[in-house]
Amino acid sequence: MEMEQLKQVVEVLIFASDIPITVEQIRNLVEEAKSEEIQNAIEILNQEYRQTQRTFQIVRMGGGFQIVTHENFAPWVKKLFQGRLKTKLSQAALETLSVIAFRQPVSKTEIEAIRGVNCDGVIRTLLERKLITIGGRAQGPGRPLLYKTTPEFLQYFGINDISELPRPKEIEELFKEEQLQEPNVSMDATQ
Amino acid sequence: MPGVEFGLEIETKDAYRVRLPNFEGPLDLLCFLIKKQELNIYDIPIALITKQYLEYIQLMQELNLEVAGEFILMAATLIQIKVKMLLPRGPEEEEEEEDPRAALVQKLLEYQRYKEVAESLAGLEERRSRIFQRSYYEWEKPYQEKEWVLKDMSLYDLLAAFKAVLDHMPKVSYHEVAPIPVTIEEQIDFVMKQLEGKEYVLFHDLIREIRERVRMVVTFLAILELIKNHQILVRQATVFGEIWISKR
Repeated sequence: MEMEQLKQVVEVLIFASDIPITVEQIRNLVEEAKSEEIQNAIEILNQEYRQTQRTFQIVRMGGGFQIVTHENFAPWVKKLFQGRLKTKLSQAALETLSVIAFRQPVSKTEIEAIRGVNCDGVIRTLLERKLITIGGRAQGPGRPLLYKTTPEFLQYFGINDISELPRPKEIEELFKEEQLQEPNVSMDATQ
Repeated sequence: MPGVEFGLEIETKDAYRVRLPNFEGPLDLLCFLIKKQELNIYDIPIALITKQYLEYIQLMQELNLEVAGEFILMAATLIQIKVKMLLPRGPEEEEEEEDPRAALVQKLLEYQRYKEVAESLAGLEERRSRIFQRSYYEWEKPYQEKEWVLKDMSLYDLLAAFKAVLDHMPKVSYHEVAPIPVTIEEQIDFVMKQLEGKEYVLFHDLIREIRERVRMVVTFLAILELIKNHQILVRQATVFGEIWISKR
């Protein structure tokens, strides 16, 4: 397939998909395309979007590609979705999530030992929001439930893998980086 | 020893409102105290920290806030560490004995680590909240085939579904039976009182002041009782007409 056509096919597939679509999935749909060609097509598409000042971009989140609105237009899009936006997570929820993210699969007792407080309510909230799920039971006495993060967790924080989570020491660097970042190179680039 | 500012805000404008900075737990509070005073986490002045920690708990109690058990437990731990540090150690023990603060320091460091991760998660959340993906709205979701019903289900989904079913089960309805707040004897007295010094009373007038249905019924029963006892005479000019009540 010609690059020009592949580009269009890749674009339409990403555009039409309601969940992140992986290179693998695209390759299964477009038989003669190679992974590198697909990656390349996405790269070119993003370049074109930037050059023509489109209000959207292709980003990689949760391991797949998605078309998302450009963050510069957040004020208007937020208005559109007013009332349907989920509330931000509480401090307790964020703390609990960070323990689960780095310790998974982890039991409630372990989480509580680290945070020093009861976590029943927080865990219930996180389960309801599908940011965590039950990932089996521990071998120990009482065989407590073990919790782990979900694909929705990656989506929610706009990352592809747990390993992308900043480790404590890297935090400062991350914020410096963000300030220097050009507005149109947000999130993960296309690679 | 200086007390520590908890950033307590007291507003007296409209109402007496007190805002206490909210700590996620005892470890959060300890981290706050250490950070605020730029103390060395590896060499915590345990007496100072214990004092300030207890001050905060006292503040919570004064404000009638429920002090969670975790806070009390930590207070006990702090005091225990303080005591251990005061106790003289034998010369042989000196080398082997661990610093009584070690376990606590370890906990604090670990907690702080995750607290920092939580902060960066908040940053990611903020950044992510500024971009929107295309998504189908609920009502646009294509009809899913039957064998897909259990797709992406977790144990928790099943529990939630089960709970929803339980919630929608028809509730057993109860009929509350309240004791009747009036007796026939009382209403007999009432009727006789109304008749006092009068030639007759209209039933209609008798029950005019009565609001509750029960009381009306009981008043009627009282009248029947009085008739039976030959204490009153009841006359009616027409069927369904006014009831004239007079003493015998």
